[in-house]
Amino acid sequence: MTVANAVLQGVFLGAFYAVLACGLSIMFGVMRIINLAHGDVAVLGAYIVYVIVERTGVPAFVAFAVALPVMVLLGYVLQLTVLERSLKSGILTPLLATFGLSIVIQNLLQLVFSPDVRSLGGSAGSVTTASWQVTSGLSVSALGLLVLVVAVLLFAALQLFLSKTRAGWIMRATAEDADAAELAGIDSRSVYARATAIAVGIAALGGLFLGIRSVFDPVSGPTQLIFAFEAVVIGGMGSLWGTLLGGIALGVAQTVGAQIHPQFAVMAGHLLFLAVLIVRFGGGRLVLRTA
Amino acid sequence: MSEKKHSARGLTRREMLKSTGLVLGGLAVPGVLESCLTSTSSTPSGTIKIGFISPVTGPASGFGEPDGYALKLARDAFQKGLSIGGTNYSVEIVNRDGQSTPSVGAQMANDLIQTQKVDLMLATSTPETVNPVSDACEAANVPCISTVVPWEAWYLGRGAKPGQPSPFKWTFHYCFGVEQFFLAYTHLWPQVTTNKKVGVMWPNDADGNAIRGALGPLLKGAGYTIVDPGPYEDGTNDYTAQIQKFIQQDCQIFNTFPIPPDFATFWRQAAQQGYTKHVKIGQIAKTGLFPSQVTALGAIGNGLASGVYWAPTWPYKSSLTGMTSKQIGDGYESASGKQWNQQLGASLSLFDVAAAVLSASGAPKDKTKVRDAMKTLKVETPVGNLDWSKPASLAGAAVPNVVSTPIIGGQWKSGASKWPIDFVICENAADANVPVASQLKPYSAG
Repeated sequence: MTVANAVLQGVFLGAFYAVLACGLSIMFGVMRIINLAHGDVAVLGAYIVYVIVERTGVPAFVAFAVALPVMVLLGYVLQLTVLERSLKSGILTPLLATFGLSIVIQNLLQLVFSPDVRSLGGSAGSVTTASWQVTSGLSVSALGLLVLVVAVLLFAALQLFLSKTRAGWIMRATAEDADAAELAGIDSRSVYARATAIAVGIAALGGLFLGIRSVFDPVSGPTQLIFAFEAVVIGGMGSLWGTLLGGIALGVAQTVGAQIHPQFAVMAGHLLFLAVLIVRFGGGRLVLRTA
Repeated sequence: MSEKKHSARGLTRREMLKSTGLVLGGLAVPGVLESCLTSTSSTPSGTIKIGFISPVTGPASGFGEPDGYALKLARDAFQKGLSIGGTNYSVEIVNRDGQSTPSVGAQMANDLIQTQKVDLMLATSTPETVNPVSDACEAANVPCISTVVPWEAWYLGRGAKPGQPSPFKWTFHYCFGVEQFFLAYTHLWPQVTTNKKVGVMWPNDADGNAIRGALGPLLKGAGYTIVDPGPYEDGTNDYTAQIQKFIQQDCQIFNTFPIPPDFATFWRQAAQQGYTKHVKIGQIAKTGLFPSQVTALGAIGNGLASGVYWAPTWPYKSSLTGMTSKQIGDGYESASGKQWNQQLGASLSLFDVAAAVLSASGAPKDKTKVRDAMKTLKVETPVGNLDWSKPASLAGAAVPNVVSTPIIGGQWKSGASKWPIDFVICENAADANVPVASQLKPYSAG
């Protein structure tokens, strides 16, 4: 029963990783950018939700509905002003640009909000501590279930968007071959900006869940980025459903690993990540597809 | 590339002019030339420079938050200068941010030593900031005083061995250690009836492993059963394995030394999975030092037990500024609009020690005399009366240069003051002069 409980909690944890990883996956899939500031963008989202909660006293979930458009707009502007320029000069420049962005966001947050830790747990209501005791050793937390449901809905919605809508087709075509898409009259700049806008919006959702699960401060981003990145790689880089499954695999590896020994929890996730890397890119092919 | 090219004679025109100017100035004012030749940032002989390094940014930046106010108090107090042996010295404090990173701490220390030519170094808060600064000063023969690193982590963490003579000649420290935690816990926990089973979350890092090795056996000796699921990595996001074990064993006391976000994650999951209903005493250390960390937990933070190394109710004064602990706390709250935090008293205490040792040396510009004065220094600071002639002890042997200071146990409670949550002192085993405000109440928020 303890193993069953560990797997269940691992699925909940994995859903959280998947939400964090989703935006990362989109940006890599569409533009081949590894956004090192993704964790910090998520934390920025959490701060915006926090400010709205503090000013108006509304619950965290309502505040998120207000913060979301702000973050989406921010993502759009970010792409047009910063990332777009860096994309033109090779594969390393976007990496450096997002690394710099990460430092800028952390220091701006520190300047505005001080290093104090904050949480959205208090303002999210009783959902954060509620749970159903299935048997003595198996409990389903309301928050875990909520994150899982939201994650599945999110990935399903993205899948529908990409496969059923015209904007989705355009995005896939641009991801496949931006030059060919341009020839067909697609403005890749605006497609890229839309992709980043979606990614940043979803990062804010990850930030919301982070703030409810735990606490955050201006430098919380990078720790979360590692797990999000691993989820993307385990699920196959740039694959959407893969990212959800990758996140869940990572979460389960960590909780089941902890059953063997607590010290093995984070390690088990890293080992899974390495194993996937070796199998997928084995035989000396540790290079990224370029197109 | 931008280096000036040297002419055949080895001097450019500009350098020639500069040295000529120096020589002429030197002729006019004897003594200036000498000081220019010996120091790059020519400190007038009547000025004492004090370096101060603390973490203002990075993961430990919570510690650095009250430093701005502590620095202001110290600078104001030093404004008139220090009168030592008939000479009035002006005092300049040069503060630097250690960025919570050992390499940056070492770099800042070397910069202060080499280019700023500080006469005395002060450092505070966490081994990551303090230890590299102490090491740099030890290597450069600059006296250094530090605090707010559990002293075992400062002493043993820098390579000293129990039972061997101390390798440190220039670096001095005052802080609580494992013994003070033990004192606080064994006087706090009996105030609530429990089954004496302690579930522990001690991580796999410097602090966690030190506590496991030193505090664990002491608590066992005092009749507590330790339920230790084993070390976990900092940054773990799920604690189901530990929580299930604590529930099965009915651990009514819980103790942890985690980084703050890990505790927040753990405690919320413990509430979800029903462990907090078993907990009668939730004793946290390393996190829960500052009100913001406890407020951020929401309702489940109310009633957690913790420890303080300074609070505005402490009966000691800052000897440099003459302010009582209460005045320091009130001053910070009105100047910053934020609630007092325990690092405030500790940061200010460094300047009390600095002023006292510079005066006691009789020759503040003579580093050897300052160092020798440290060895017998007695001084009142907000955190207590410090006396380096009575050093801490390790395995029966005195640890020179190190003074142990108290940790006082208590509980975070809402409704105790005008702030959402405030710290209520419940025992004073490590220092009987600190007033006790209340008894420990069982944890009941989960």
